[in-house]
Amino acid sequence: MTSIRARLLIALLALVSAVSILAGTLTYRRVLAETSLLFDYQLRQMALSLRSQVSMAPRLELPPDEADADFVIQIWDLYGARIYLSRPGLPLINQTALGYADIVVGGKPWRTYGLQTLDGVIQIAQPVRVRQAFARAAALRVIAPLLLLLPLLIAAVIGVVSNGLWPLKRVAREVQRRDVHSLAPIAVADLPQEIAPLAQELNRLLARLDAAFQAQRAFVADAAHELRSPLTAVSLELQLLDRAPDEAARATARERLGAAVERAIHLLEQLLDLARNEPRDERHELTEVPLEPAAAQGVADSHALALSRHIELSLESEPVRVLGYPEALRTLVRNLVDNAVRYTPPGGRVRVRIRAEGGGVLEVSDSGPGIPPGERARVFDRFHRRRGSPEGGSGLGLAIVKAIAERHGARVDLDDAPGGGLKVSVVFPAPPQTRRRPETAAAPA
Amino acid sequence: MRVLVVEDDRMIAQGLETALKQDGYAVDRVADGRAAAEALRSTRFDVVLLDLGLPERDGIDVLRELRRRGDATPVVILTARDEVRDRIEGLDAGADDYIVKPFDLDEVSARMRSVLRRAAGRGDPCIRHRGITLDPVTRSVERDGTPVTLSAHEFAVLEALLQRPGAVLSRAQLEDRLYGWSAQIESNAVEVYIHGLRRKLGSDAIRTLRGVGYFVPKE
Repeated sequence: MTSIRARLLIALLALVSAVSILAGTLTYRRVLAETSLLFDYQLRQMALSLRSQVSMAPRLELPPDEADADFVIQIWDLYGARIYLSRPGLPLINQTALGYADIVVGGKPWRTYGLQTLDGVIQIAQPVRVRQAFARAAALRVIAPLLLLLPLLIAAVIGVVSNGLWPLKRVAREVQRRDVHSLAPIAVADLPQEIAPLAQELNRLLARLDAAFQAQRAFVADAAHELRSPLTAVSLELQLLDRAPDEAARATARERLGAAVERAIHLLEQLLDLARNEPRDERHELTEVPLEPAAAQGVADSHALALSRHIELSLESEPVRVLGYPEALRTLVRNLVDNAVRYTPPGGRVRVRIRAEGGGVLEVSDSGPGIPPGERARVFDRFHRRRGSPEGGSGLGLAIVKAIAERHGARVDLDDAPGGGLKVSVVFPAPPQTRRRPETAAAPA
Repeated sequence: MRVLVVEDDRMIAQGLETALKQDGYAVDRVADGRAAAEALRSTRFDVVLLDLGLPERDGIDVLRELRRRGDATPVVILTARDEVRDRIEGLDAGADDYIVKPFDLDEVSARMRSVLRRAAGRGDPCIRHRGITLDPVTRSVERDGTPVTLSAHEFAVLEALLQRPGAVLSRAQLEDRLYGWSAQIESNAVEVYIHGLRRKLGSDAIRTLRGVGYFVPKE
């Protein structure tokens, strides 16, 4: 985990240190340059003032205390004999040069100024060390306050950063308070503009979650409600079985009990089918499967029901491959055919056709009463039962069909069948171009 | 006693019909709200078992219309809607009782009896009249403390007459109480039951108002 506060702190302290060092160095170098000029000027002035004294009284003895410890003054006569040395005891500088010069004596650098007089040469010398000490002191004076301010700066940075991060903390606390039961949006009004987008995105996520949870809750409530009817029938028939006065009544109750249990099981299976095909993050890649075997299985599943209602079932198919889940496709076909069979009066027919048009089209048409156009949108709703719905339907069939179609990116259209009745078309999307030419891709040289 | 079962779930309606017939009620069934309203307008029922979630018209709507007409027929709501506000709405719309599915048949029977009792203005579950005691719970009848065995139809006729002593019920009204719409009625069936009752309870127990119908005399 990285901490914004630690990163800011380190960066700011590094910056302060760098600035201090830079300022110190620059100061040192500037002071050094400036003092050099000044000292040079001083050296020259000293030499000039000595020349006049020396000229007037060549053998003048300068009192030793007048000579600054930092300076060494030497005077030579015209013959090169040293006639004056301000500080005996020091290593002798035996070189002279007129004007400014840098020389090294005993391993130490000196700055010297030589001046030609009528009767000799005056040389003033100063150790460079003096100048450097002067510059160092000046640089230190600049850096010192900066370094002294450092703890104060650290405290200030911590304060500023914490203060700056406070809205983040607040948002974190707000988010912490959210759970399945409370998905209220986070207040965005007084958030800084850097954090507001984050909070807004969170709010959008919360809203989506809330909607999903509510849909789920509604579904569970609906499901519980819907389960009540078949279970009421089961409990009713059980009680009737108990109190049946004769064998005939018992037989009837037993038979009806079986039918009620059957119905409860059917509803449960439909609920499971719907749950299995809920929209979600698909874990595995869709595979390309032929549509016909899945459709054939789905049709076979409904065969018994069709037979009992004297309805003629047929399947015609052109070769179509779609990206999909075979088991889900079978459930889709079974539900479509089941629905068609239930709504078609005995003696009618239900036709399933697979056409190779676009990405593939699966059509189920029946000879039943059809659905008026105004009602078509609602039939996909869960637990929606149309007026005069036949017995045994769960009201989930078309909702399951729609959920499975959506998983496959397919569209479900409701139309009138050519001979009256309903035609349901599941239109699969055209597969992407790369999948369209598997022959060329799969042909190795 | 004639019951109207308003229930769109065929299985539940069938089960209720069987159970109620075993209890000696004459049962009629309708499966949607509009049919229920029509049945209630055209026929007099002793009690109505009303589902709420109905096709065509909601049960509450049917109930409100019934009460607006001033019809006090006892209504027991029998529904899957179990929330408190639904129950309050149902009772305030004029229902006499409210039962949530799934239900116990014996409880439904008991509540129907209780509703019928209150409708007749009685507190005592047994009807006592001039030495005759009729117990709707055990479906037994005593005459001066001696048990009397009645057929289901005889019991139903006696129960109908004892509900309002002094009131005259015509043959058609009694037939209505005994049979649903679909039942085959023999033309002299009511006379046969009255005859049986007089034989078992004494000839004075039920009197005839010639050309009008039958009644039990007031005390």
